[in-house]
Amino acid sequence: MELLNNLLLIAALLLFGSIVVSSISARVGAPLLLIFLIVGMLAGEEGPGNLVFDDVGTAYLIGSVALGIILLNGGLHTKVESFRVGLRPALTLATVGVLITSALVGLLAAWVFDLHWLQGLLLGAIIGSTDAAAVFSLLHARGMNIERRVGATLEIESGSNDPMAVFLTIMLIEILLTQGSLFAWNTLLLFAIQMGIGAVAGILGARLLVYMVNHLSLANGLYPLLVTSGGLLIFALANSLGGSGFLAIYLLGVGLGNRKLHAGQNILRVHDGLAWLSQIGMFLILGLLVTPSELLPLAGDALLIALALIFVARPLAVLVCLAPYRFVWREQLYIAWVGLRGAVPIILALFPLLAGLEQAELYFNVAFFVVLVSLLMQGWTVAPVARLLRLEIPPGPEPVMQIDTLIPGHPECEILVYKLGSTSPLRNRSPDYFVLPGTARLTSVIRHGISYDANDIERFEPGDYLHILAASNEVEQINRLFTTLEYAADHQFFGDFILEPSARLCDLSTAYGVPVPHACDTLSVGEYLTQQFHNKPVVGDRVKLDKIELVVLEMEAGQIVKIGLKITG
Amino acid sequence: MQLSDFLSPDRIVCNSDASSKKRALELLSDLLAADQPDATATDIFESLISRERLGGTGIGYGVAIPHGRLKNCDHATAAFIQLKQAIDFDAIDKQPVDLLFALVVPEESSEDHLKLLAMLAGMFNDDDFRQQTRQCQSGQDLHRLFIEQAGN
Repeated sequence: MELLNNLLLIAALLLFGSIVVSSISARVGAPLLLIFLIVGMLAGEEGPGNLVFDDVGTAYLIGSVALGIILLNGGLHTKVESFRVGLRPALTLATVGVLITSALVGLLAAWVFDLHWLQGLLLGAIIGSTDAAAVFSLLHARGMNIERRVGATLEIESGSNDPMAVFLTIMLIEILLTQGSLFAWNTLLLFAIQMGIGAVAGILGARLLVYMVNHLSLANGLYPLLVTSGGLLIFALANSLGGSGFLAIYLLGVGLGNRKLHAGQNILRVHDGLAWLSQIGMFLILGLLVTPSELLPLAGDALLIALALIFVARPLAVLVCLAPYRFVWREQLYIAWVGLRGAVPIILALFPLLAGLEQAELYFNVAFFVVLVSLLMQGWTVAPVARLLRLEIPPGPEPVMQIDTLIPGHPECEILVYKLGSTSPLRNRSPDYFVLPGTARLTSVIRHGISYDANDIERFEPGDYLHILAASNEVEQINRLFTTLEYAADHQFFGDFILEPSARLCDLSTAYGVPVPHACDTLSVGEYLTQQFHNKPVVGDRVKLDKIELVVLEMEAGQIVKIGLKITG
Repeated sequence: MQLSDFLSPDRIVCNSDASSKKRALELLSDLLAADQPDATATDIFESLISRERLGGTGIGYGVAIPHGRLKNCDHATAAFIQLKQAIDFDAIDKQPVDLLFALVVPEESSEDHLKLLAMLAGMFNDDDFRQQTRQCQSGQDLHRLFIEQAGN
């Protein structure tokens, strides 16, 4: 009994400590995951914590469940809109990209560590995939808003490339254990079966779960847990049927996240929390598991592998994989740089340990080291590099609070709360001039902690909280209104005037005296921009025409609906 | 090119009661035509409205800058009206507009045109300036304010 209580004490202390320490992360800009990993290492056998933990099986179990939850949450936040621009490039990166990266790094590793080439490839496969936890948490760190084409590609890649790396790792372990041959048709078949079962399980599971969430009558607090347990059920079921559980649970998340769900906000909020818990738990455990002194003798060689991965293998893989999709060089460079490694390689490195393979310790330690370097170098610079490459879109304001009003028998409404920033175009303006779409209404304004009736407010002030009551189907429109308001304030980025996408290019030429490409002058501006970006434009895409620049300002269902005109002089 | 070269106090209207986008553009066209001997108010209105059809020229914060190029015109002309009541102008931020600065330029001078527009948009991007503009009570005051701001 006392032993159990001590265990609880230690676990709670670690969790609590990690959360408290994470508050400094924002200040120094360090990736949170790195901090959790370091807390784990400090608590471990060679740190002040002095905890001995070497239960690979437990670590694997916790790691897989945690990763499942993280992928579920990532899926919940992935909008189908992202698939329009990111799906094909991401899938290419998740398959061919992982192969290229693994092969290049693997062959180098075989040479550096003097391994058989198959062993080298196994190491390559272990560190071959980008990490969903790292990518999702770093790309969505506070205040980050990445251009959609790049963000979507990176997110979908990280959500879908783990199955590939898992598959390669297991296949190579099999081959090494049985001395079998590498290229058998049945390995390809096995891959297809894994992906197929994973995809089917995820898609069907999502349908079923959407139906259940919307039709079962439960206590409000249980809806999020219904989703969590349903997700884990599909995850485990896909695994036990020989499919990829990771793919299944990610797709399940996507399926749920793009449907109108009963208590949807509540489900999202709880899963954000669960994803945090999973990340902390997983990285803590992995930090505990490693023996830092065993890393030191490997440091030089492992650093070489990490640098080769970051500066050669990943960029080459990105270059090859994205060639058919015509990304501009800044986008390619960024995708190459954000090849973040996280928990997945460390968890994959547990496979050889579990299988009792020779050199298993080496794989684990090298993988751990590579992840550390990746988090340090790439994780720390995700935001500054985006700024440097001009891929950051000024963030549209998000509601600070969004609440479903769950009144039985009433149509669903939501209360949105927005905070007016110091540059908001609404400041100093009268609420009479604030026009909301449809039946949405400004119900009250909270100023300095006091609630005012909207009619009693003469002018908005920065720092005001606007409470808006809207029907659920108007929420999207209101969010867009606030985004446009903010964009209007950002002439630097989005330009001075707006153009309707239906405006003719030749009329634009007449109005401003700028030459337009002759072949295009019968097109509308919207058609021209869509064509320039190969039918997949995203907000922030820009084309220069002599002294003016056209900027995609607003999209709706894959179509451009507003274009900015910026004078560049 | 100085702002005073193409904006004079007699083409500034304070406290106008124009109540629609069309009325405001007609008023601006009339003001501009006084300085363009070879163009009628209708020509100017046509030029402004054809630009509006490409997308509203409301730049946000209650400001619009209607503009166009003009045949039979050898110099740029500007006009300004301050409205009593803000009107719907299909602005970028979907909010009504109460300050309108119109500009017409000769057809040949596309480069100057663009420079002027960029300067005007930049000028009205300043929150204090917009507040001062709204507080002005006469065309003379507004003219002084514009010249001052453009000089900065």
